[in-house]
Amino acid sequence: MPIDKSLITGSTTMLILKLLEESDMYGYQMIEELNRKSKNVFELKAGTLYPLLHTLEQKGLVTSYEKTADNARVRKYYSITKKGRKFLRDKKEEWKTFSSAVNDVLGGIIYATA
Amino acid sequence: MQQPDKIAEYLKTVSQQIRWKKAQPVILEEIEGHLTDQRNAYLRDGFAEETATDKAIAEMGDPVVVGEQLDRAHRPRPDWTLLALTGTMLILGIVLQTFVNSAVEGEWLLERQVIWAGIAFIVMTAAYFADFTVIGKYPKIVFSILWAVTILFSFFTEEINGRASNMTYPLLLFPTAFAGFTYSMRNKGYFGLMLCGAAFLVPAYLSLIMPSLTTLFIMSVSCLIILTAAVLKGWFGTKRLPAMLIIYIPTAVVLSIPFIISIGTGYRAMRLKTLLNPSSDPMGAGFMVSLINRILSHSRFIGGGSPLEVFGVTEITQILPEINTDFMLTYLTHRFGWIVLIGIIVLFSAFIFRAAVLCKKQKSVLGFLTSTAIVSTFAMQSIVYIASNLGFLLFSPLSLPLISSGWKYIITNMLLIGFMLSVFRTGTLVKDKADAALVNTKRFIKYNNGQIIINLKSNLHMKMRI
Repeated sequence: MPIDKSLITGSTTMLILKLLEESDMYGYQMIEELNRKSKNVFELKAGTLYPLLHTLEQKGLVTSYEKTADNARVRKYYSITKKGRKFLRDKKEEWKTFSSAVNDVLGGIIYATA
Repeated sequence: MQQPDKIAEYLKTVSQQIRWKKAQPVILEEIEGHLTDQRNAYLRDGFAEETATDKAIAEMGDPVVVGEQLDRAHRPRPDWTLLALTGTMLILGIVLQTFVNSAVEGEWLLERQVIWAGIAFIVMTAAYFADFTVIGKYPKIVFSILWAVTILFSFFTEEINGRASNMTYPLLLFPTAFAGFTYSMRNKGYFGLMLCGAAFLVPAYLSLIMPSLTTLFIMSVSCLIILTAAVLKGWFGTKRLPAMLIIYIPTAVVLSIPFIISIGTGYRAMRLKTLLNPSSDPMGAGFMVSLINRILSHSRFIGGGSPLEVFGVTEITQILPEINTDFMLTYLTHRFGWIVLIGIIVLFSAFIFRAAVLCKKQKSVLGFLTSTAIVSTFAMQSIVYIASNLGFLLFSPLSLPLISSGWKYIITNMLLIGFMLSVFRTGTLVKDKADAALVNTKRFIKYNNGQIIINLKSNLHMKMRI
């Protein structure tokens, strides 16, 4: 099912931070994980991911380090910071309030039409 | 079109959108890594080479749009807090100099002070845009140049109290060069650590022939901090404890020498005894200490202090020597109250604290060591100066950075600050050079993703698909 884009873009930051909350990852891994977890609903474009990651790093929400993978390729891993965790908690709260409000309204309409 | 060319073409278009040149290599490397990962994934899914590359590129998106977004994310940002604090110190220096010099007769001119501050600001700006990584790339050259300049300055100098005073300025730059030298000793083990010790002896010896114990002290502490930081980061590839012992046992031995001297009766011995108990010799070596203590005890919290008399002299500007250079804070405390001293301490603490926070954030070891060196040099000068103005006179003061008189000090410190700001501006993009040790630890035969990789040489692989 195609999802309206504006619904996704605002929450991408939250999704990325959520992924990093579980473990450190490099960019490609994040996209794969997100596809898998959302059952291909969120197909995050790599071209959107990297600018976003770099901005998050400058804001101090994530930090990065380089690690040599098994096949001797150097990869840039991202890791969530303390500030990032706090930001994620706040965003989650915001999201819950927002989504339950939407549900309340939608629920109301459903009842009315039932 | 050849496959790698397509990716190269894509990367080129992306890079053209990113205006900050220095940021480009790091970003492109990451994007290229991603494209390769994505292409390999498509190859595994059974796509042909060309389709895999095309799909990977399509997946990334329009290179112009991606490049523009990356450009927006990467703009060099000066640290406005540190810049504002630097400006405040520089202007405060001019204001306080005006107050102090209006009280003494001399050839001081406000215009000249302002001009020098302006020149110092230009020097700082130049250093700010300079590439600080040169000290890590050519540590021996930088070290040698600094050594030569210091020697040169020993010939072209005015002698102040029997000191080749001009040697101080290049000597204050040595800790920063030392940071570059330490950086170049990566994974060199205990031998590298010893080489650092040997390198340190160069400026240490120069400070002794100058001779200035204060310079030696400030420089030694700064270099000690750099070495300690490098060891704690595991930079030499040694165990931490033995390395610390190698640094601190000789340090302790050297530090104990003054105490051995203090058992004797020479000038230094007197100076040390005076520090511990100034009233033991109020007319001799302890004169300055007693004098400062008396002046401070006559100071109020806010406002002018009560008058005092020393040998029939009541004018404080005549009682206290060097009020525009060495004992500016003591004088200002008596004239305007402790509030001035407290204000200065708050201002300097804020600067040092902010700089230390940014230091800690540096990801590259070169950036970290360089900024650590500069913060230490700055902090040590300030601490020695403030302490001596409070009557702790083990070391005679050098300068209160950007505040106390002396245009050469102002320029030297502004140069250092500019260099530090340059680290903070570009530090996130600096990468420590490829790890030599990592290459050596590569296994000879490796199995990975259905491939056997035989490392014939570290840069030559033989791959076999099974």
